[in-house]
Amino acid sequence: MKRRGFGLYDLLTYAALGLALFVFLAPVLWMLITAVKPPEEWLTTPPILVPSELHWANFTDALFTWGGDKGLEDSLIVASLSTLLSLLLGVPAAYALGRFKIGGENLSFTVLSILFMPPVAVAIPMYLFWSEMGLLDSYPALILQYTVFNLPFISWVLKSFFEDIPRDMEESALVNGATRWRAFWQIAVPLARPAMLAVALLAFIFSWNEFFFALILTRADVTTLPFILPVLMEGHNILWGDIAAIATLGALPVVILAFVLQKYLVRGLSFGTLHE
Amino acid sequence: MTSAILAAPALRPRRHANAGRWFGWWMIAPSLAMLAANSIFPLVYALSVAFQSYQILIPVPHRFIGLRNFEKIFSDGLFWSSLGVTAWFITGVLLLQFPIGFGIAVLLQRLRRHQDLLVTLLLIPTIISTSVAGFQWVQLFNYQFGPINYLLGLLHLPQPTWTADPSLALPCLIFVDFWQWTPFMTLLLFAGLRSLPGSVIDAARIDGSTGWQLVWRVYLPLLRPVIGVAVILRVLMTFKLFDVIYVLTAGGPGTITENLAFFTYVQGFRYFDMGYAAALSILQLIVVTILAKLLIRLTRRTLTGVAKE
Repeated sequence: MKRRGFGLYDLLTYAALGLALFVFLAPVLWMLITAVKPPEEWLTTPPILVPSELHWANFTDALFTWGGDKGLEDSLIVASLSTLLSLLLGVPAAYALGRFKIGGENLSFTVLSILFMPPVAVAIPMYLFWSEMGLLDSYPALILQYTVFNLPFISWVLKSFFEDIPRDMEESALVNGATRWRAFWQIAVPLARPAMLAVALLAFIFSWNEFFFALILTRADVTTLPFILPVLMEGHNILWGDIAAIATLGALPVVILAFVLQKYLVRGLSFGTLHE
Repeated sequence: MTSAILAAPALRPRRHANAGRWFGWWMIAPSLAMLAANSIFPLVYALSVAFQSYQILIPVPHRFIGLRNFEKIFSDGLFWSSLGVTAWFITGVLLLQFPIGFGIAVLLQRLRRHQDLLVTLLLIPTIISTSVAGFQWVQLFNYQFGPINYLLGLLHLPQPTWTADPSLALPCLIFVDFWQWTPFMTLLLFAGLRSLPGSVIDAARIDGSTGWQLVWRVYLPLLRPVIGVAVILRVLMTFKLFDVIYVLTAGGPGTITENLAFFTYVQGFRYFDMGYAAALSILQLIVVTILAKLLIRLTRRTLTGVAKE
């Protein structure tokens, strides 16, 4: 290919991508700016772009006055335990679907279709179910509920992954007297580690962000960050800076994880339909 | 003799394959039990409630009323308007998110460096919670102190109340959905573009294809399976869209921004008409199952076609 100089098309490309970056990131930046504004600059005309000082007190208020600390703790507990449980159940299930074709295509399809079930459709029975069990507003309810949505995703993505890795190594291990379990645990699982990281990341992000079931199944004892934000936004005297600080705390962990695990994010988000 | 010895190793894996089925069932059993408890139970329950008159607020014993709840759906004007709202969101996916997401993917592919960094930056709206995103837009749409209205004021343009304005509330939500999910569309299509064999593109270039021709005659046809997956995936997600409506408009003003999922939520959790809400749920499940089936057929082709080179 001949090498091109910096032409008009390149200029247009950069301009358009710059515009896209502005549109998609400006709202996020505006939240970050508000999060460090002193109270007298929250509501002004014209809006203030550069705060006169970095008012970190918004964050301490958010954490210790408005329940941000409890929110962070609950979000972390629910998201990490649900991710862990989903992997624990989902990895063997994916192996069973991919390697042994358990239940054939029909079972695989049934498992996946649970992922697309509108949460509203199961909300009423699940609400009654958890209240019958005496587990409304508790960690187990939220953790198990999120696992129900993480499991099909994990099984589906890892199933196609296990189908793709050659059987040879596992077969020869079996011939040499290894148990099924060892062939799975010591050969297949290590090979699947990158794919597992990708699905674990996505499961964590989903559970960290989930709003609908948090709204329906919890009230006061379990208050994840996505759940407390809309509550704080009600009423007339909205404390913009403090809420922006809580929102920032809610966004930061997933954004950091996304950047650290960039490669895996792309893989997980593309749903295992596309191999990079 | 020799044949028996040679056959022995070949037999063993087959015996293992049978043992493997048991092992497989054993491995998947906990997941199936869990999914059954949390999805099949609710479905069966919803199915039974859908045929009953089951209103928590009315102290009358629940009774079987046949298809009455389903009949009510089709004569309920609010159902039809909520279906219309869902249709508008899907239109947004098809007419805004897909073309612009695709455009950004093509532009990204022209870059020589920092592609991954840019994709991840663009994905921030997709990976943050809708609660957080909702707060950002509440701030931006603020009538009195929001930056958008400030800029409009500078230009002496009218300053609307955005999400409180009956004619603008739905477009606002469609825009926020666009903002959240177009990067996701870009990601899928960009991954697809990257997996196209370079030789095809080079060949098209040598034949003298310009940028537009490349897009129309090479990218779009070759990416058709990926586009199918991306669009159906987004349509499925749009069907259950709830959070952004709850956070930004709560279905209002009035019921103007209630989509199917939100309408169902209102029937069940605000009016406690469980029978009606269950009937609505089942209707959605049927539509979603059909779409999901379509998605899976396409996914399988994508897996064996574009991606596995």
